[in-house]
Amino acid sequence: MSKVQIDDLDRQIIDILGNDARISNRKIAADLNVTEGTVRGRIKRLQQERLMTFTAITDFGLENTSKLAFIGVQACVEDVRSIATKIADVPLVNAVTITLGRFNIWVVCLFDTLDSLFEVASERILAIPGVHHVETSIAVKTIKYNARVARITAADLSLTPEEADNSA
Amino acid sequence: MSENFTVDDIDRNIVAQLRINGRATNQQIADNLGLTAATVSTRIRRMEDADKLRVVAVSDFAAHGYNVLMEMAIEVDGRPASEVAAELAEFEEVFAAHLVTGRYDIDMLVVLRDFDELPKLLFEKFSKVRGIHSMTPAIAVDVIKYKFDIAPIEARN
Repeated sequence: MSKVQIDDLDRQIIDILGNDARISNRKIAADLNVTEGTVRGRIKRLQQERLMTFTAITDFGLENTSKLAFIGVQACVEDVRSIATKIADVPLVNAVTITLGRFNIWVVCLFDTLDSLFEVASERILAIPGVHHVETSIAVKTIKYNARVARITAADLSLTPEEADNSA
Repeated sequence: MSENFTVDDIDRNIVAQLRINGRATNQQIADNLGLTAATVSTRIRRMEDADKLRVVAVSDFAAHGYNVLMEMAIEVDGRPASEVAAELAEFEEVFAAHLVTGRYDIDMLVVLRDFDELPKLLFEKFSKVRGIHSMTPAIAVDVIKYKFDIAPIEARN
């Protein structure tokens, strides 16, 4: 990835919107002492470069997938990317990362009952050809979590900057 | 667990609209769902006040200059895991820390600007925390999927 070019104004805008995305461009402009057009332009650029996106984050407890588990996967090295893509399609799988370490695929899963976790890890993921081993670890308590910073993948680009511009 | 906090289909539809466009106005959402803007506003506020919903900008690790992501599993020895996790969570490099079941006791997401920061993290920060028996990292090479719209929401100050 090429070096990202962002300046203090971009960072200030990210900070303000990271706290509340529904603040108007006008208010941001007034707070930062720049024009509304500048704010709009910066937001558009940050979205286009996939450095920022707007969303509604709901709490784990809101819907019925309220528990978090990690599934470490040991998979055939030469097929790791295609296996990871298949795992990403399994229901309840929230995140999939190819890693270098004791596992080569790291999976984050949101689940409700132990049955559903077993289904994901041992019935679905383990059944994918090339997967040798899965190890499940349930998060009992979350001590820290930063939901404002994430990896924005191509799949998240559903919102065009034009749509975002429609907000007041 | 959500203590008696329930959502209905109207709440769910509003959240779905906000997931498509977090900056949609109450009026736009109301028009799309056949509601009044006041209802939309009240529903959003109720969920936000209960720390069940946040409508925010999510920024990429790269926007903050974080180029190295790693998952780190920690075995604890001679001290409650919750104490060790709380101490580790104080470091800015630790983006997430969970107490977990299984072979390891703590699972963390650690982010760095680059690998040069590793000695400082290890010798000046992690090695000062009592009770760490072992640290086993897995370096993220490629992120295939990363959904960020469901997360533990912390109470707002």
